[in-house]
Amino acid sequence: MKRGTASFSRNIFIAAFTLPTLLFFCLFTIWPVVQALYYSLFDWSGMAQHKTFIGFDNFVDMFKDPIVWRAIGNDYFLVAGKIVGIMLLATFFAVALTRFNFKLAGFFRSIFFIPNVISVVVVGVLWNFIYNPQIGFLNGFLSLFTKEQVTIAWLGFPSHTIWMLLPPAIWAGIGFYMILLIAAIQNIPSSYFEAADMEGAGQWRQFRSITLPLIWEQMKVSILNIMMTTLNGSFVIVWLMTEGGPDNSTQVMGSYLYQMAFRQYHFGFGAAIGVLILVLSLITTIVLQRIMRQETIEMI
Amino acid sequence: MQSPIKHPAVKIIFYAILLIWAVSVLYPLLWTLLDALKNNQQFLSKAPWALPDVPLLWSNFSYVWEKYSFSSYFLNSIIVTAGSVLLGLLLSASTAYVLARYKFKGSNALYLLYIASMMVPFVLALIPLFFLMNSLHLINTKIGLIFVYTSSVLAFGIFVLVGFFRSLPKDLEEAAVVDGASHFGTFFRVMLPLSQPGLITVAIVNVLNIWNEYIMGTILVNDPAQYTLPVEIGVMQAEMQYRTEWGPLFAALLITIIPVLVMYIFFQRQIANGITAGAVK
Repeated sequence: MKRGTASFSRNIFIAAFTLPTLLFFCLFTIWPVVQALYYSLFDWSGMAQHKTFIGFDNFVDMFKDPIVWRAIGNDYFLVAGKIVGIMLLATFFAVALTRFNFKLAGFFRSIFFIPNVISVVVVGVLWNFIYNPQIGFLNGFLSLFTKEQVTIAWLGFPSHTIWMLLPPAIWAGIGFYMILLIAAIQNIPSSYFEAADMEGAGQWRQFRSITLPLIWEQMKVSILNIMMTTLNGSFVIVWLMTEGGPDNSTQVMGSYLYQMAFRQYHFGFGAAIGVLILVLSLITTIVLQRIMRQETIEMI
Repeated sequence: MQSPIKHPAVKIIFYAILLIWAVSVLYPLLWTLLDALKNNQQFLSKAPWALPDVPLLWSNFSYVWEKYSFSSYFLNSIIVTAGSVLLGLLLSASTAYVLARYKFKGSNALYLLYIASMMVPFVLALIPLFFLMNSLHLINTKIGLIFVYTSSVLAFGIFVLVGFFRSLPKDLEEAAVVDGASHFGTFFRVMLPLSQPGLITVAIVNVLNIWNEYIMGTILVNDPAQYTLPVEIGVMQAEMQYRTEWGPLFAALLITIIPVLVMYIFFQRQIANGITAGAVK
């Protein structure tokens, strides 16, 4: 009898401490995800009475839509650009701020993280003004070297505008990955470096033979994370800075989803784009993991 | 311990790169402050980095605070952030504690469910979430935003706190049970106070994320009375096409940035801890 009450009160406790959370999570996170898969099979303008089941037609339409292909291309352009830009700089900063006796290392580290605490909407608006043809300081800076006032509309050239979205994305992303890599480097036993020093290995050699192999796990996590957050979230900065324009040249999957659903009321089509994002990010995760696993073997 | 760089030239190059990046981070913020103190005439007639004229236009701040109702957006942001951080902490800490210390049927599956959800792109859920909130009459309400934000931070909180609870020694709990404390008593009187550092880390990271959240806020709120700061910044930028109020816009950006910047200055270590704990999967 006594055992019974003990396990009863234990079960009550477990239920009281897990069910409210689970309920919340199922309602506001799991259920919407499941619903998205379901919505993608309908032609739906948002009014309940107009919801018609059309099977995979949204997906067929999607692949016939040249803007979708362009968006996919732009997404992967941003993924590649951010991986290269962020990883190069973040690794450089992490190594410079841990392995070298820089005075002010703590100061630089604190400063470099600041863009990460700023809202993406502020980053977008701020960079819009940096690029602003009239009052932006990018043109102002260039005007120093020319006779006439430079008035380039940085976001106005369809063939190149997507490039202009990389600097703000890299600017805003570096601090996070730098902190991750700094933590990884600090976990390396200092005796490794001391031994290398005694053998006369230079900094570059130490970086290649000790630091890089030992932080490679963290770098892989970082690369996957950059890929996922970009496919998933880069549309916010796209939406704020160019709304996918000019002429859909900077459209990414997320911004096209947003435009289709919340501007043009093609909710089923929008949901299908959401499913595409999910599928592509899963596939890309697997592919990247494959590639990077081989990389590890080569390095060791 | 660390090997100094031997060549002075290399050292100078390294310093130069670090300095350039520091300037590229700090200058846009300084520029925002300077521009927040200018009027349109100064924007158009002078170089972008010209200092603002004296008297400085501090009135841009009071202008957005009152005329643009930033006082109420600020309050909305505080309510929504505080509400969802507290609720999120309560829900994630309770589940994390049970997952860390109790074995029961499905406990592993439950843990995996939360962890796996971090891999799903949230943009997928955007459309259904809008209709769900609509049918629950939670569009344009602070409580609706609080629920959605709370749910969005649960997985991260559970992940970090399970790790934290597991790292605490079991003796204290056992002592509490010997002293006759109930499961609830043990949690609230012993474990919760002990886990304060972990709770603070999770809370700080969540405050930053929720205070800065833009997209769900935009979709779930279209009544200006309920806007949060980031939502209003987005709206304000769109309005700039019709009326040019650059000075006030820059002031608005600063009003949005300053609280998180102050928080960052005080809690740098916790933020770094949260990042490293959250990313090591």
